[in-house]
Amino acid sequence: MSGRRLDHTAEAFAFIEELDRLASPQEIIDAMERSFARFGFENFIMTGLPHPDQRIESLVLLKKWPLGWYQRYTRSGYDRYDPVIRLCRQTVQPFEWSEARYDPEANPKAALVMHEAAEFGMRQGYCLPVHGLNGFEACLSMGGSSPDLTPRTKPALHLMAMYAFERARLILAPSPRPNPLTPREREALRWAALGKSAADTGEILGVTERTITAHIASACQKLSAANKTQAVAKALQHRLIEM
Amino acid sequence: MTSIHVITRNNRAGYTEVLEEYFRLRHDVFVEERGWRDLARPDGREVDAYDDDHATYLIALDGGRVIGGLRLYPTLRPHMISQSFPHLVRDGRILRGPTVLECTRYFIVRERRMGRADCRLLAAFQEFCLEEGITEVTAVVEMWWLPRWHQAGFKVRPLGLPTQVEDQPCIAAAIRISEESLHQVRRLAGLRGPCLLREASPLRKVPHVAA
Repeated sequence: MSGRRLDHTAEAFAFIEELDRLASPQEIIDAMERSFARFGFENFIMTGLPHPDQRIESLVLLKKWPLGWYQRYTRSGYDRYDPVIRLCRQTVQPFEWSEARYDPEANPKAALVMHEAAEFGMRQGYCLPVHGLNGFEACLSMGGSSPDLTPRTKPALHLMAMYAFERARLILAPSPRPNPLTPREREALRWAALGKSAADTGEILGVTERTITAHIASACQKLSAANKTQAVAKALQHRLIEM
Repeated sequence: MTSIHVITRNNRAGYTEVLEEYFRLRHDVFVEERGWRDLARPDGREVDAYDDDHATYLIALDGGRVIGGLRLYPTLRPHMISQSFPHLVRDGRILRGPTVLECTRYFIVRERRMGRADCRLLAAFQEFCLEEGITEVTAVVEMWWLPRWHQAGFKVRPLGLPTQVEDQPCIAAAIRISEESLHQVRRLAGLRGPCLLREASPLRKVPHVAA
């Protein structure tokens, strides 16, 4: 084992220990900046992966990105074309940006994203996907002009990234939001999820069909759902109702 | 409804068929699905040196069928980290002690991975260890497990850097056993109370075994 390898191990463990003492997002950013800089990474972003109806800005936990690049990336919705994001959804294994393949002919916007990132000094990068429980998807992606990415540095970076992610998640995790649905709305959606019509549900609960329809409509509005089917899907997905 | 059964040498006689199913599923999951060819056995039962009288199994049963499980083993005996993965531990400092167990062969069957079975088994794991006075549990796992454990509220400390095992970055780590972790993972699992079943003689309550 070389001295260099030992240094990476010590670096990673010192970083993880330090994280436990950090209380604010800015402190985590500062610690990541210092530690990742030793591996040649100048920039990083830690973010959830957006669903089709979400904007990536709302899911970013931490970032140290050139401001101009961040603005361009979010304003232009580059996450929709970013080959790194695409690969991140498909694998649990860390990968170098160059491994996120795309066909520039068929996918000129992917080429544009990678080309413009390079213009902001992010020529090479390393992306660490996070696939949690209940379909939670996120990543920590870091970039630089010539990072030290070798089989010796990658394990240390991988470990540091997973713990940085956890620390940021703990600090930033919003306190659990109260369930926006009333007990009646939840009940109506539960029966709908079991295939019951509004009339059936009304009969079961001893109220009129119109009352049930009103509960469902109200739930649809709260969940920004287009119809009952989508409302049921969203309520299940966000664990607002249980089966 | 899934319940998690504790199986030790004291009650395993009543769980013969459940354990057989568990060993066959281990072969399906670890050999066929994950490709750990070293574990392949001609009889399709994945059994190793640690499936002895010192092992404790937490087996998730639903309607009499095994849907997942894990194995706990004392670290004061030769165990998987000490025998097969000492190089995954920094400076060779293997964590062992009377209140430290090693967890191996954790799985949930493929068709139940989308639901809460994982969280239930993890809750049962914390619950069992708390009841037994266990303080930490070591394990070697693929790195993608770390964020899942974190999300479940587990406090996990790495014992070494990730290392390639069967072409996957794996890590030796220690999970701290705590009430807080149990509380958090129970919430995720949608459980209000215990889900652990300790049966001296399970024959009457598990029709699948009795049949």
